[in-house]
Amino acid sequence: MEKRPDMQKDRQKEMQMGRRQFLKQVSLWSAGVLMVPPVFDVTPRLMAASMASPQILVAKGTDYPAMTRTLVEAAGGMGAFVSPGDRVVIKPNIGWDRNVDQGANTHPVIVTTLAALALGAGASQVMVFDRTCNEERRCYQNSGIKPALEAMKDKRVRCTYVDDRKFVPVTIKQGQSLKEWEFYKDALEADCYINVPVAKHHSSSGLSMGLKNAMGVIGGWRGKIHYDLSAKIADLNLVIRPALTLVDATRVIIRNGPSGGSLDDVKRLDTLIAGVDPIAVDAYTTTLFGLKPSDIGSTVEGFNRGLGQMDLDRCQIRMV
Amino acid sequence: MGKNFWKRLRQATQILCFFIFLVLFRLTDYSGADTIPYAVNILFRIDPLVGACVTLATQSFIQLLWPCILMVGLTLVLGRFFCGWICPMGTLIDLAGKGMGQGQKTGKAPKAALGFIKYALLAFLLVSSLFSVQFLGFFDPFALLVRGMAFGADPLFYALTTGVFDKIYLSGPAWLSDLTEPVYEILKSFVLPHKQGFFYLSFLSFFLLAGILALEIFGKRFWCKNICPLGALYGLVSKFSLLKRHPAKACKKCSLCETNCPMNAFETEEGEARGRLIREECTLCMDCMGYCPRRITTFKFGLPEMPQPVDISRRKLLAAGLAGVCLPVLGRTHALSKLPDNGLIRPPGALDEPDFLAVCVRCGECMKVCITNGLQPVGIERGIEAMFTPGLVPRLGYCEFNCTLCSQVCPTHAIGALPVKEKHAFVMGKAWFDKDRCLPYSENKNCIVCEEHCPVHKKAILFDQVKVPGDAGEIRLVKRPRVVEERCIGCGICENVCPVPGAAAIRVAGRDSRISPGSGYA
Repeated sequence: MEKRPDMQKDRQKEMQMGRRQFLKQVSLWSAGVLMVPPVFDVTPRLMAASMASPQILVAKGTDYPAMTRTLVEAAGGMGAFVSPGDRVVIKPNIGWDRNVDQGANTHPVIVTTLAALALGAGASQVMVFDRTCNEERRCYQNSGIKPALEAMKDKRVRCTYVDDRKFVPVTIKQGQSLKEWEFYKDALEADCYINVPVAKHHSSSGLSMGLKNAMGVIGGWRGKIHYDLSAKIADLNLVIRPALTLVDATRVIIRNGPSGGSLDDVKRLDTLIAGVDPIAVDAYTTTLFGLKPSDIGSTVEGFNRGLGQMDLDRCQIRMV
Repeated sequence: MGKNFWKRLRQATQILCFFIFLVLFRLTDYSGADTIPYAVNILFRIDPLVGACVTLATQSFIQLLWPCILMVGLTLVLGRFFCGWICPMGTLIDLAGKGMGQGQKTGKAPKAALGFIKYALLAFLLVSSLFSVQFLGFFDPFALLVRGMAFGADPLFYALTTGVFDKIYLSGPAWLSDLTEPVYEILKSFVLPHKQGFFYLSFLSFFLLAGILALEIFGKRFWCKNICPLGALYGLVSKFSLLKRHPAKACKKCSLCETNCPMNAFETEEGEARGRLIREECTLCMDCMGYCPRRITTFKFGLPEMPQPVDISRRKLLAAGLAGVCLPVLGRTHALSKLPDNGLIRPPGALDEPDFLAVCVRCGECMKVCITNGLQPVGIERGIEAMFTPGLVPRLGYCEFNCTLCSQVCPTHAIGALPVKEKHAFVMGKAWFDKDRCLPYSENKNCIVCEEHCPVHKKAILFDQVKVPGDAGEIRLVKRPRVVEERCIGCGICENVCPVPGAAAIRVAGRDSRISPGSGYA
């Protein structure tokens, strides 16, 4: 893509302006000043244009913390995403009352490693949360994520249950299938949002990866958006835009997802995938399951909305 | 030793026991581990009325209830001390009485003319237990107390507290919520339950408890003197007890002990026995030691003597026994008894229905501990004999796959102890699709939220990809779910998450509803 650099800069500025405008509405709505839901209206096509040839970073091995650090380093270092004083959200999948080996949730060591990196880059607060499917205390506990974060013994790291008071209705201006839904305020207001999904089979959407993980920061009756799910997941990701996506494919559920439960359905891949383009990362992860990026509805829908690149031939895939 | 030493010691013990009760009540919850390390159900296990009724109903002794024998033994030594020193209901009643100004009242106390009620109730409960119908839950003080708190007072407390903090957080100024939120965090960590509880029968449960406390208007310890069947049982045992008050009669001249006795434990009928201490009514509160101007009142151990007859006529006792025979039979004439199954989803590990009804003491512990709030007290619509027993209402909360807390807190094994592995295979019920409501059938829309959540391995909900005509005549693929009956355990998560408004398109019926034999837990 031949773009004049100053034109790109203008577009980025425009995006920032739009986001700032939106966050202002969120805080006004929360204060009870604004009566209509905040409107999210930031054109994603600009974003796609700005990274037509995105990087996909892949690490293989069994030392997951070291792989996580290498990937973040290769992506430009945590300092590229987190500025000193930032409030950082790290969003793993903690959806199920399953243990680490069962592969339904993000591996805890990846979450703690990212949290430590964020703190190292000067984050004032690292928030970790997920709206769970099973009972939240059991999920947080048995996923290993809450105990691991608590073992860090750092007051800046907060692994909290979702607070129902913090859901904000958002009008998704460019939403095609989903025009309005409730989003978690902390996720919207984060200075830096890092998405750490676990890759796994999902009977409705084919696979659950980065885009699907946004389901954990929305309110409402989530079962109701399972009709036309792929399009709705893509619409959610118009609003939730991670600065970095790191997919946990260390051990993946290959059937009977997303809840799994049996080790017979879990396959070890020992792989982590990272990138700033959420579509590209999901597209690459799909291939690990022997599928094509176009097999996954949310990837296609996200690409069509300009959220990123799904054509792997146009991505730079780097093994690190 | 001051003259009120024993009274103060008794009051301190009462407060301590009540505090322990509250702590155990709060600990009746998921704690981050799969097992609850504390005996949170101890209140029911030390209850000899529970022990007696369940033993009669099952004609066998449930080992979990051994502590109640200890209590009977202690009562044989110390008398009815439990009521005065330990009972959290008694303490709450004392506190309520203080709040109503009963503490200051002195003067001539009337004889407890209604005291026979408690013996009649005791007789009724024991006889009806013989017929394996448990009315205990309506009268046992702890069942009433725990249910009143779990279903009523605690949710009310939570709602009031969070109501204030949420209001400040959502619409107050930021500087104020910056002050209140840390306080709220501390309350959430140490005082409040994890989540708001919601219960059927919350009003009734709350007002049954409040009503018992309100009875204090009619005099101190009205419930304990006249109604409490556990008090009656302890009273009967204490007639043989070794610890005795001296003098055994109130002195004729003064009688301050008699007029101030909160239990009206002195004979008021004129005659030779006038002023005699009715031992089964004395809760050893030791207040009379303080009232005695000559300071001669003491409590000393001595050999048991020939007991006097209790305060109930033979005619009344007979009537109570007759009611104990008739009411269980009347209960079984309820229309639902005619059906082969009652459709209720009992907790995992629950005994088969008739046994369950006989052994469950309606203590409310399982519903209090249920992590999804899905276990709910059954209402009057299922007949009086099922009232306050637990039933799963999946639309409100499903049975969490790896959770066995209800079986851990059940004091009588009505919900049998169940290791997680066995629980995974325990059949509570079976799920059925209502295809007229299910979106992939009724509207050709994809959904299968039920299949996603199904926790068993292999999944009890499968789906078939079916070609259907789209709106524009095109051919589309839709995933249509179906239940594999043999695999379904009836946990109800499918019904819980079904996005169809109103009644779910997949619903669970209790375990008697299975069609193919042998598919259930034996």
